[in-house]
Amino acid sequence: MTALSDIFHLLFTANLWQATLTAAVLLLLPALGGVISERSGVVNIAMEGMMLTGAFFGVVADLAWHNPWLATLVAIIAGGLMALIHGVVSIRFRADQIVSGIAINIFAAGLTVFLVNRIYGLQDVGHVGQSELLPNFNVPGLDQIPFLGQVVFQQNVVVYAALVLLVVVHVVLFRTRLGLRIRAVGEHPQAADTAGINVYAIRYGAVVTSGLLSGLAGAFLAIGVSNTFVPNMTDGRGYIALAAMIFGKWTPFGAFVACLIFGLGEAIYANNSTIHASQYLLSMLPYIITLVVLAGIVGRSSPPAADGIPYVAGSE
Amino acid sequence: MGTGAIVARPQPPRLSRVVNRVVGGLAMPLGSVVFAFVVGALIVAATGENPFSAYAALACGGLGIGCTQGENPALQISNAIVFAIPLITTGVAVALPFRAGLFNIGAEGQLLAGSIACTAIGIEFRTLPEIVLLPMVLVGGAVAGSLWAGVAGVLKATVGAHEVVTTIMMNYIAQWFLRYLIIGGPLQLAAGTSRSSPIGPGAQLATLLPASNSLIIFGLPASVYRVHVGLFLALAAAAAFAFLLWRTTLGYEIRAVGQSQKAARYAGVSVRRTIIVTMLIAGAFSGLAGAIQIAGVDHNLTDKFFSDTTGFDAIAVALLGLGSAVGIVLAALLFGALHAGGSVMQQDAGISGNLVLVLQALILFSIAANFVGAIRQQIPWFRRPMAPPPAAPVAALMTEAGAPDTGSTGI
Repeated sequence: MTALSDIFHLLFTANLWQATLTAAVLLLLPALGGVISERSGVVNIAMEGMMLTGAFFGVVADLAWHNPWLATLVAIIAGGLMALIHGVVSIRFRADQIVSGIAINIFAAGLTVFLVNRIYGLQDVGHVGQSELLPNFNVPGLDQIPFLGQVVFQQNVVVYAALVLLVVVHVVLFRTRLGLRIRAVGEHPQAADTAGINVYAIRYGAVVTSGLLSGLAGAFLAIGVSNTFVPNMTDGRGYIALAAMIFGKWTPFGAFVACLIFGLGEAIYANNSTIHASQYLLSMLPYIITLVVLAGIVGRSSPPAADGIPYVAGSE
Repeated sequence: MGTGAIVARPQPPRLSRVVNRVVGGLAMPLGSVVFAFVVGALIVAATGENPFSAYAALACGGLGIGCTQGENPALQISNAIVFAIPLITTGVAVALPFRAGLFNIGAEGQLLAGSIACTAIGIEFRTLPEIVLLPMVLVGGAVAGSLWAGVAGVLKATVGAHEVVTTIMMNYIAQWFLRYLIIGGPLQLAAGTSRSSPIGPGAQLATLLPASNSLIIFGLPASVYRVHVGLFLALAAAAAFAFLLWRTTLGYEIRAVGQSQKAARYAGVSVRRTIIVTMLIAGAFSGLAGAIQIAGVDHNLTDKFFSDTTGFDAIAVALLGLGSAVGIVLAALLFGALHAGGSVMQQDAGISGNLVLVLQALILFSIAANFVGAIRQQIPWFRRPMAPPPAAPVAALMTEAGAPDTGSTGI
């Protein structure tokens, strides 16, 4: 029972909630990507691989050019290119989108380690210097608010960017013509096509956008939260983001709430030095929470009607 | 091109029709492997390495062909078969749910559950004789894998939680639970180690060749050849899979649910029960694979299992084998050879063994997208009027009849 009371005490520290938001953002970015992609009708379980690719190329670029902003751009593009493969395979060639997603994840895991060996030999990748990481930024004034200031306004720049993106994705999806088109394509592509919407263009755009967001998450993970690349360092975050998207019923804010829950699990694990329990048992926490959430709270949430079905122009 | 043209075409003579069918059936899997090797070569070349030396080392390591650095061909073939054994059993564990329209990405977690149960039983009852203990560890492993997969089956059948997500979560839980068990947990051998103590001798599967150092076979002592009795268990599992699927009522129900849940329900098949039973059986196959791996090869749990990918390779095995028992065995042998070859490639050619993962992903892309079919469309003498449009063969694998009627496959 000591472990439980340890966790209880932890819940009253600002450190824990600060870490929760950071961990949640790592999940939110790929989850937003998943929302966009699946709203357009393309199942995307490849966030894991796209994030890993982003993390790797972000570190490579940062080590080469010593510029975190440039490195982040490279990571975003790398994630987008991986997504483009998923797009071509599943939109142009109408492949099974789950298989294509698994292939992307295996491809990313293999390619990154293969390239680590090619570029850095058998040694470690090397560490990015402190000044070359994505910086933290304290919002002047607001960061002095007790408790809340530390939790929300003493964060990495990517956290603020992600919160802005959260609002942007919500507004675009539900308040703009583009969002209506994306959702139409995901619900009834034939009708959308008849109405003059280019189904393929919308789907390619949505899938690539999910890659860009996952690439950004990869950069945040590798050169923000961490300072190096380790094989498989994403540790299933892309998959948890997928679960968050489902829990959030394919909406940005719903996914954000789920990300906060999963993020809390991860933050408790990260602060485990004060908890009297095996760190390995604690590591199971985010995944068990995911299962419980899927089992209990969600019930039968239904995806967009055309999600996962390749579109053939001219089909009924 | 209308269908009328097809009717008007004269039927080709019988023999060539058979040949066509065989060639047509093999074209996709073989073409996908060729596609993967070609694109893989381009990737190797793009990073400034020689793809030919990479593949030469791969052929030596996997097939024992053309070895130049003193590898023993017989040993390499033996290693490839040892790698293939768990791939056959887990391949079956992925292919069976496919037929019911379920995607089991959790073979890895189920395999770990099976290996954990096998080890725990094999240690706890280490003094028991083989005739009692060996069945105990194998059945124990199968039951553990079955329960692990059953969680996903029950969640799918009751609340509709997608099995892709739940099986992935169960994978991570199994991996961390394994870490806990052998690092600081009850199965740890001694403080500071990350391994369990060995299972009792009665829990170990015999190797095909006597474990003797004095008997020399192909220039090496017989004890280095690790191929074990588990090979026959794996082949039996593949045969049991085919029998279950095509010769039993349950197999019929599984295929019915995979083709159309609605129609299966009208025919009086309980879809929920079929989903749960399918996952339980699939998990038993994976769990058995894990138990066989411990009983036949490793004899204890080690940190090597942390980075085990057998259950993920199994997805490629099941797809490349087109979901048939024979295909799965052949595909497992191919991936076994790739794995055995990967380490030789790393030693001899200095190219990361992870290239094998890249090849595997490329094979998956090619099968899923039916690149082979698309390429055939471009080549005039291959193009036949009846050639189907490029569609997802995976869906065909799940449903046989073609497009699923379940609507959205979204997760």
